[in-house]
Formats: sequence, C-alpha cells, structure tokens
Amino acid sequence: MDEIEFRRRVYANPQSPEQELLDAASDNPDYQKILDQAQELDTDVSNAVTAISVPADLQDKLLKIPASAGISGEELIQRESANSSYFHYYAAAATFLLAIGVTFSIVFNSGPSVQDIALGDNVLDHLYIDFEEINAFSRGEGNNFEIVNAANVSQILANAGTQFLSNDFMRSMPVRVAKPCEIIPAFQSAHLILQGSRGAVSVFVINNSPVSVEYRFRDDRFNGVVIPMGKGNMILVGEETENLDPYKDLFADNVEWVI
Amino acid sequence: MSDSPVIDGKNKQQRYESLVAALYQDVYRYAYWLCKSQALAEDLVQETFLRAWRSLDSLQNDKAAKAWLFTIPRRENARLYERYRPELVDIEGQSIAASGENEPDFRMDRQLLHNAINRLDSDYREPLLLQVIGGFSGKEIAGILDLNNNTVMTRLFRARSKLKQEFGLDSDDIDE
Repeated sequence: MDEIEFRRRVYANPQSPEQELLDAASDNPDYQKILDQAQELDTDVSNAVTAISVPADLQDKLLKIPASAGISGEELIQRESANSSYFHYYAAAATFLLAIGVTFSIVFNSGPSVQDIALGDNVLDHLYIDFEEINAFSRGEGNNFEIVNAANVSQILANAGTQFLSNDFMRSMPVRVAKPCEIIPAFQSAHLILQGSRGAVSVFVINNSPVSVEYRFRDDRFNGVVIPMGKGNMILVGEETENLDPYKDLFADNVEWVI
Repeated sequence: MSDSPVIDGKNKQQRYESLVAALYQDVYRYAYWLCKSQALAEDLVQETFLRAWRSLDSLQNDKAAKAWLFTIPRRENARLYERYRPELVDIEGQSIAASGENEPDFRMDRQLLHNAINRLDSDYREPLLLQVIGGFSGKEIAGILDLNNNTVMTRLFRARSKLKQEFGLDSDDIDE
C-alpha cells in the first residue's frame, strides 16, 4: 500500500482503522506517525465539535412533546420555540396551511384521515431532500438531465411493485430522474421527475397505505395530489401553479401494480 | 452515546423517552453545526423529535431510527434555507461549552479548530459531523446524504486533510 492510499484510508476513519492499516503502521514508522497524527487531530476535532453546549431545558421540552402533540405539532413548535421569531411565523404559516388543507379536503373529498394527510406531509418532506434537482428544473434546466432509459425506469418501478402498461406511454413521457425512495420508512417507493410547465413534476408510486379518497395538498411552494390506486398510492407534486390534472389522467390510466 | 436508544417491548412513551435521552444532545449539536444558531438549532431538534414521536410505531430498528433522526434537521434546515434565511448573529465562540479545560491556550486552540471546521465546505463538513457526532459508518453516512460510500470516504479524507493543512501540517490530496 502506498503512502497516499494509506493516508487516504486513515484520514477517512482514524478512530477505527482497519486491521490492514494497523499492520502497515506497525511495519513502517512513517505510517505509524501518520496514523498517530490523524488520531491526535481527530481527538481535537471531536472535542471541538462536541463542545457545543446544549440548552439546559431542552430535554424537558422534548419530553413534553407527547403530551402536546395531540393538539398539533405546529402549535407545539410555536409554544416551545426558543427566541426565533422567524420560526414562529413559519410555524403559524404551517398551521394555517394545514388548516386550509384539512378544511379543503373535508369539504371537497369527504374527509381524508389524519394518516392520509400525514402522507402528503411526508411527500413534501421528501421533495426537500431532492431540492437541488427540483430547483434545477424550476430554473429551466430540466433538459440538462438525460432522459432515463426505459429499462432503468422499469427497474425502479418494479422495485416499488408497479409498472407502466405500455412502453409507448414511457416514450411519450420522458423521465429525467428516476430513483428509489422511502416516503414511509421500510416501504419501497419510486420517485420519477419530469419537466413540467412550471418546473419539476414528481411522480411517486408507493406500494402501501392506500388512502381512502383522492385529496390535494400544498405548502407555500408545491401543490400535490394523492390518488388511491388499489394496492397503493400514486402521488403527483409540482410547483404551486403547475396544473397536475393532465399528468393525473395519463398516469392513473397507465400504471398498474404487479405485486 | 448509547448504541441502542430504542428498547423494543417498552411502551411508546418509554421508547420515546429513551430515544430523547440517548440522542437529543447529539441531534442538537448536529443541528447547531448545520444552522449555526442556537435558537434555530433548538427549533430543529424539537421538530425532529416531534416527528420521531409521530413515527415511533414505524421505527422498529434502532440504528435505522437513529439515522432517520439525523436526516430530519438536515432536511428542515435545507427547507428553511430555501424559504428564508434570517440574519444570524455571529456567535462563533459563544457556544463552546465551559469545562475544566478552560485555560486560555486550550480555549484558543479549540476555537481555532471550531472556526476551521466552520469554514469547511458543507460537502466536507457534513460527513465529518455525522461521523464524529453521530458515530455513523461510511455506509450509513452515504445513506443519510444520498451519496455512494466511496464519495463519503473521500470527503472524510479531504475534510481532515484541509483541517490538517490549516494547522500547518501538509497532507496529500486526491480528487473525488
């Protein structure tokens, strides 16, 4: 093992070096010096990183969450928040949007359950994981992503327990990003991204927790729709002003479950 | 920190309390390094554990639960960054915990290192923090950051190399 390779592997994980590295260090004083220096540095790094003082009352606040969560998570944030007025506004806005979403859903969709609404929330959370790609689409750079070939799209969909009914449909709907994801922990889902008129249009298929009714959700950037489809759900999300209805019709008619 | 924060078989409340006790300090420190604001870090941690409480029934695996918890402050911080970036007071040095090692020289070194870590590009800083604070393996960090394992290991190497260079000890570098 040359010195660069030795150094690279030691610096990647100095506190738990592999036996091969320890053996190399014991045979070579220069390597041993590199290992010692890396471990010394890492001890200092660890001390610096963990020297952040934790607020004394934080644990108590966290332990109160179960008692308060029954009211509303967002209300809890407002009540317990530290000196961050910005976060208060954010929490208030989230509560307001949630209230609108619930009201809208109850009036127009015969009332999705709290669990249904939580699914929409989880989807929005997931979008912010992929926000770099989503933002590229909103900047009009979606075409910079190469169209994913049909075999790869099919594989991603198959892992989530679904497939397109025809290859013609896939060719008519160029998928720019296709990746597995876990909207609900431990349940495989697929996330496809297409270029919409306002930015990215995300198509999620998830093979569990079918909702009872179709419902729409939104936050201050995205709008989405959850579509119950037999064994699972399909979820479409686009930018706030993106019209998702054409996508809804196309995908709902061309996706089938295979599990 | 404990490797087994969630104890199967206990009721939900007890599981939650175990989770808080085992992880809240690490999650707070990670959140602090992400947003560099004590108040925002506290909010991120509360949001994290609120979600943990809501999802506790589906969190069966201890290690997966811990990794999942660390994704939340990162995601929420990114979300806040997208929507609004408040003016943050420069608090460098104000958050270093007091300890028995507070001699001036020691504090200066720790502060210099603290500042050097802060200056690292986030691509390098984030895996380093996850490894040092969370004790995650390269593979686990890869899962949290949605990277491959080789990229994570390279970034960890580069993070420490850059810190080493800042303190006057050269290190070979490699491209990703």
